[in-house]
Amino acid sequence: MTLQAEHPIPRHVLLVDDSAGDVRLTREAFRDANSTVVIHVANDGVDAMAFLRREAPHAAAPRPDLILLDLNLPRMDGREVLARVKADEDLKTIPTIILTTSDAQADIIRSYELQANGYVSKPAGLDEFEELIRSVDDFWLSKAKLPSRRADL
Amino acid sequence: MRDPMTAPQTDPRPPTDQPRNSLGGGGGEHHERARRSGPEWFARELETAKASEARYRGLLEAAPDAMIVVDRAGDIVLVNAQSEIRFGYRRHELLGKAVTDIIPAGFAERLIADAERTTEAALAQQMGTGIELVGRRKDGSEFPIEIMLSPLDSEEGVLVTAAIRDISVRKAAEAELLEKVEALHVSNVELEQFAYAASHDLQEPLRMISSYTQLLARRYEGRLDSDADEFIAFAVDGASRMQRLIGDLLAYSRVGTQGRELRPTSSDVAVRQALVNLRGAIEESDAVVTSADMPDVMADEMQLVQLFQNLIGNGIKYRRGDAPRVAVSAVRRGDRWTIDVTDNGLGIDAQYFDRIFGMFQRLHGREEFAGTGIGLAIAKKIVERHGGTITVESKIDHGSTFRFSLPAVARALT
Repeated sequence: MTLQAEHPIPRHVLLVDDSAGDVRLTREAFRDANSTVVIHVANDGVDAMAFLRREAPHAAAPRPDLILLDLNLPRMDGREVLARVKADEDLKTIPTIILTTSDAQADIIRSYELQANGYVSKPAGLDEFEELIRSVDDFWLSKAKLPSRRADL
Repeated sequence: MRDPMTAPQTDPRPPTDQPRNSLGGGGGEHHERARRSGPEWFARELETAKASEARYRGLLEAAPDAMIVVDRAGDIVLVNAQSEIRFGYRRHELLGKAVTDIIPAGFAERLIADAERTTEAALAQQMGTGIELVGRRKDGSEFPIEIMLSPLDSEEGVLVTAAIRDISVRKAAEAELLEKVEALHVSNVELEQFAYAASHDLQEPLRMISSYTQLLARRYEGRLDSDADEFIAFAVDGASRMQRLIGDLLAYSRVGTQGRELRPTSSDVAVRQALVNLRGAIEESDAVVTSADMPDVMADEMQLVQLFQNLIGNGIKYRRGDAPRVAVSAVRRGDRWTIDVTDNGLGIDAQYFDRIFGMFQRLHGREEFAGTGIGLAIAKKIVERHGGTITVESKIDHGSTFRFSLPAVARALT
């Protein structure tokens, strides 16, 4: 139970990804890395914005500690979500990491221009993917100091 | 071309015109001898002149090109049979005609020399070099021609002999070739983009197959029967091999599609970065890699690292038992550096020297050496993008030397 001692309050992660395979894989990887993380999933950009703004059907949604955002999404793509999050006074302090298959320079540059807090590509191998999720969890959900959620509560 | 035309020093006009003048080209010596030898000699000399005139005319008529002689005013004074055929005129129609009627542009201008230069000097510049112009036939149709000019001294001053060749066939062939080169280029670019897009998009579903078969293997190994374990192992192996293939294909197509501008780059740093990337293989094999006096070159740094990585990596991979040694060296040759990557490995049979640079070419079974057979194809493509070639010298059991060249950094830039 040492893990729970490190994270007395469960951490919430909003995973925005339209691939069921990737969502499951990310869940599995987080489960191995940190059993106290609660993963919430939005399958497209519109759904993600509704979650973040607590609009139906996400009226009871918690404010996530971290957003993992894919770039290529149906309805509203990840770049648009990122731009809206970072333009929103309330949401812009939520660390937003781009987690995508693209390693195109144009996507990387655009994402940082839009104030992404990080950009990682999904590695091809399972071991590498698990390692990546472990390090994201280790840094963003454990080591990094995040803005206190007290004001929000 | 010039000698037979100028040597006779005759008036090129038909002999009926002014037969006496055709002797005029002779020097004062002739006159002296004429005085000494009297009318008999003169008659003989006249015969010689006529014979020489006939030879000249014969030569003119036998020429495979249209031959046209033009005076300083730009009027045609002599033509051969080919001129009639090429331009569609009868001979009498051409004589006295302005040359601009059959060669509308570019010819007459060349007759009018700069005030500072003599006509001959102006023409001398054109000598031996074909000028490509347009010829116009009697019916008004035009065709591409190539003209060679030579000056011709005569009593009336300098005339110009023009050898005119119809180059329609050559021009059409050139245009066709250019079209084909362009089409090939477009098709190459499309193919490269296709390879890139296809391999990129294939990665996604493959990542799912690979990840989930690995997850299956990890969680259910020993919990199903032994057949299931074996089947899953084959699936995992196939998926990971395909991932390597697609990764290498992507790297190959990136050489052409994502290459950066060539700029002054330290090949020493590139070698060292390649060694960092190869750290695992080097430690595992106790390989010793040496390099000395590596120069700055004009290169795409990422590609240069990849090039060294592929060549040094091969030297380590295809080793003969003992600790592999790879040496990298450079020699300046003109405005390029020749770089050798020499190993003491297995060596390659001479019959495979060309084949090894092709796509998916492998000389060993998969059980023996893993690999996709793209590494040297990538190396070749990188070298070619840098304007060089790559070759291999090798002897079985004596190792291999891969040699390629890279552009040196221009002195002004250093």
